[in-house]
Amino acid sequence: MISKEICERVLQKASSTGADYAELFAENTLNHAVNLVGGKVDSVHDSQIAGAAVRVFLGLRSVMATTVDTTESGLLRCAQRAAEALAEGKAEISISLRERLFGDIHPIRIVPASVANADKAALLKDACSAASEYDAAVVQVTGTLLDVDRRILVATSEGLWTQDRQIRTRMMVSAVAEVNGETQTGGCRPGARTGMELFEKVDPRAIGREAARQAVTMAGAGYCPAGVMPVAIGNGFGGVIFHEACGHSLEATGVAYGNSQFCDKLDQKIAHEKVTAIDDGTIPNDWGSINIDDEGTPARRNVLIEKGVLKTYMIDKFNGRRMGMASTGSARRQDFSFVPTSRMTNTFLAPGSDKEEDIIASIEYGLYAKEMGGGSVNPVTGEFNFAVNEGYIIRGGKVCEPVRGASLVGKGSDVIQKIDMVSDNLLCGQGMCGSSSGSIPTNVGQPLIRVSSITVGGR
Amino acid sequence: MDFQTFRQFVADEAAKLHIEEYELYYQLEESTSVSVFRHEVNRFSDSGEGGVCLRCLINGKMGYASTQLLSEESARALVRRAADNASVLESSEPEFLVEAGQSYQTAAVSTSPIPAADVLRKTALAGQDALYAQSGVVDGSRTEAFAEHIHIAIHNSRGLDLRYENTVSGAFLAAVVSNGEEKANSFKSCLGALEQLDLAGTAKEAADTARATLGAGIAPTGAMPVVFSPKAMSQLLGTYAGVFSAENVQKGLSLLKDKEGETIAAPSVTLVDDPFYKDSAMPIPFDGEGSPTRCKKVIENGVLNTLLYNLSTAAAAGKATTGNASKSSYDSKVGIRPFTMYLEKGELTQEQLLEKAQNGVLIDSLGGLHAGANTISGDFSLQSSGFLIEKGKKAAPVRSFTVAGNFFSLLRGIAAVADDPQPPTSPSFTAFVSPSVLVEGLTIAGK
Repeated sequence: MISKEICERVLQKASSTGADYAELFAENTLNHAVNLVGGKVDSVHDSQIAGAAVRVFLGLRSVMATTVDTTESGLLRCAQRAAEALAEGKAEISISLRERLFGDIHPIRIVPASVANADKAALLKDACSAASEYDAAVVQVTGTLLDVDRRILVATSEGLWTQDRQIRTRMMVSAVAEVNGETQTGGCRPGARTGMELFEKVDPRAIGREAARQAVTMAGAGYCPAGVMPVAIGNGFGGVIFHEACGHSLEATGVAYGNSQFCDKLDQKIAHEKVTAIDDGTIPNDWGSINIDDEGTPARRNVLIEKGVLKTYMIDKFNGRRMGMASTGSARRQDFSFVPTSRMTNTFLAPGSDKEEDIIASIEYGLYAKEMGGGSVNPVTGEFNFAVNEGYIIRGGKVCEPVRGASLVGKGSDVIQKIDMVSDNLLCGQGMCGSSSGSIPTNVGQPLIRVSSITVGGR
Repeated sequence: MDFQTFRQFVADEAAKLHIEEYELYYQLEESTSVSVFRHEVNRFSDSGEGGVCLRCLINGKMGYASTQLLSEESARALVRRAADNASVLESSEPEFLVEAGQSYQTAAVSTSPIPAADVLRKTALAGQDALYAQSGVVDGSRTEAFAEHIHIAIHNSRGLDLRYENTVSGAFLAAVVSNGEEKANSFKSCLGALEQLDLAGTAKEAADTARATLGAGIAPTGAMPVVFSPKAMSQLLGTYAGVFSAENVQKGLSLLKDKEGETIAAPSVTLVDDPFYKDSAMPIPFDGEGSPTRCKKVIENGVLNTLLYNLSTAAAAGKATTGNASKSSYDSKVGIRPFTMYLEKGELTQEQLLEKAQNGVLIDSLGGLHAGANTISGDFSLQSSGFLIEKGKKAAPVRSFTVAGNFFSLLRGIAAVADDPQPPTSPSFTAFVSPSVLVEGLTIAGK
């Protein structure tokens, strides 16, 4: 994208007022999406993101300047702006870059841009018609087939010059069902860090049917009762509970500034001994996987909590300075215009030894949250919330009628001590996670778990 | 390459491919921000970001493509991509480009340049001092001063040539407070010329709000009267504003189908959308397609007067556009959004609403709106924090409870509207403003 020689001159300019670290991040990304509404191609989103960001550090200060002008003169002006904002004075340093390759652990076979719009639309139509045909109660179906082809370059004053190409593909189908005048929605949104070969493994029609099944089930459901009760949370996207309740509070973004419920808790027991939590960016072709992070650090498998004991945080280079800790390969940004910070990749609770049926049977009266929706957290207090997209009442150890409109609220540091049963059926679900460095793809996952008591919002 | 040169390359390529109808939408945002932590500048950012979106109208279908790369090669590729994307579209909605020669109102914008880095630095440091002057404020508190200059241009093959420029600035104060046992946080922003910001008042509000939640208990469970604060009610309006979009209605994604002219809310409810709202930081005389914008009553005394339309949805409904075409980003499809949408204030004070409620909860803030609110069915179950209402007065703080109900029932269940709207504090084209409201029939889940 940008030659080593130009990068060297840009980094020299960026360091010219005394920075102790300088970084150039350049990006050229194609975002493409075909959208279907009511069986017809409604729109095609097709956007090229191209630009660069220069970051310089001096001690605990950081400056970032960005530009969409990626000519040498544009980059040099951007570096000059960053240097001037950092400090006054003059420093002469010579930077010599060496190319490094970190390998590609996420092989791609079918580059999405090589597939015609019409072929993408056909796959999506398959999925959406399966949803419409599922049940007469399905009144509307919308679908999106999106792909991202992201090329990044990172060069730093430490001599690193490296590039990566990140391709992702995802299909999302939403169904609206109406039963006795009550409208509810259902969705299914699988994705992976692969090309269009995703659909050799995932059947589009199954995606449509699952979205429709959920909508129809929920449209026929009554409201969830409110109160404090035991909850069994299903595998897969249920892992959003750990993502919200703890994951965000383990990011250096909050921890470095004392804004986390888990500050100064390394090597202490913070969770039930059945809880082992891992953030792993190296799982081949998984939705949240990376080869290198957006600071050029290779992806890692980080065991965050082992048998209830806090082992590490997720750390980026800049926040790591304040914490006196090295990067864990966790720096991520939506695109060059966002300041990168520590984020999650594929985050999941490790499988335990309990059996699914024993967990359900252990609950006299409670909620089975089969499919979770999104949520959010305040990392300072640890208060989180998330929506239950598909819930059932458990009565006498048996899964009974479906209920809708439920949400779960609580405090992260409490809830991870109440995860007291963990089954063995680990599964991951795909999501987009929003934080200060923008919206990025992350996997959440877990086996079926029991939370001994939590506040269920309903009516 | 500048936009004017790029525009010429696009015109040449379009002519070569016999594309006669097209529009170029250009947006550039230059912004600077300074963050302060522990009385020291820890972050400075200076960005220039934006791009061009091309829309080509070919055989009645509107194909889109966007880029941030302004070069001769990318101009050519842009036209070819947009044409290719148009060729697979199947929707039957009519598509239009805006005609030139319409008249536009004048918006009160600022054309002043972005303040110097030093002014931003001083503002952020002063904001930090203002925060630490409040009792209970501890480490972790952050302050940011920001300024942004936005430039939009719309140019089309029918001779339309519109430009918009505006500069906004302000500060963001995030207070973390502690009573020695627990921490709480809150943030508040203020907009205006940096030298004239009320940093002390903003810091006090942020710290007071955070401190008031310390020692919060858990709310009871059950159905009870709820008073939403101006902040909480504007959050709810913002979440559900999409139900008034004609696009969502026509696609079967809003329950307001065939409801224009019908009563959908309590008589005390009048909901207005005003692109020239007096306290808006970003008033704008044209919408995302270039149509003139205007003020309109969406709900008047409980009756749904009109949905929000752009050209395509208006034509499908046999109406005129309301000037609500949106571009959430330069590269997004033309959609529909309100500008400043506000609930008209009533005559009672918040204290009088509490008096009417007698026993219930005052919800000060809502969380997880993207997850806990279903914008199609209207159902919501949302994380909340606020205060108990006991014997008609604001009592102890409560947090980590949920409020559940349905937005459409809530509109009908609004028993009273207060007189205390807060000015918008976000530097964006869309903002939501509401006074406190009293609602009957919602369920609280706490202990």
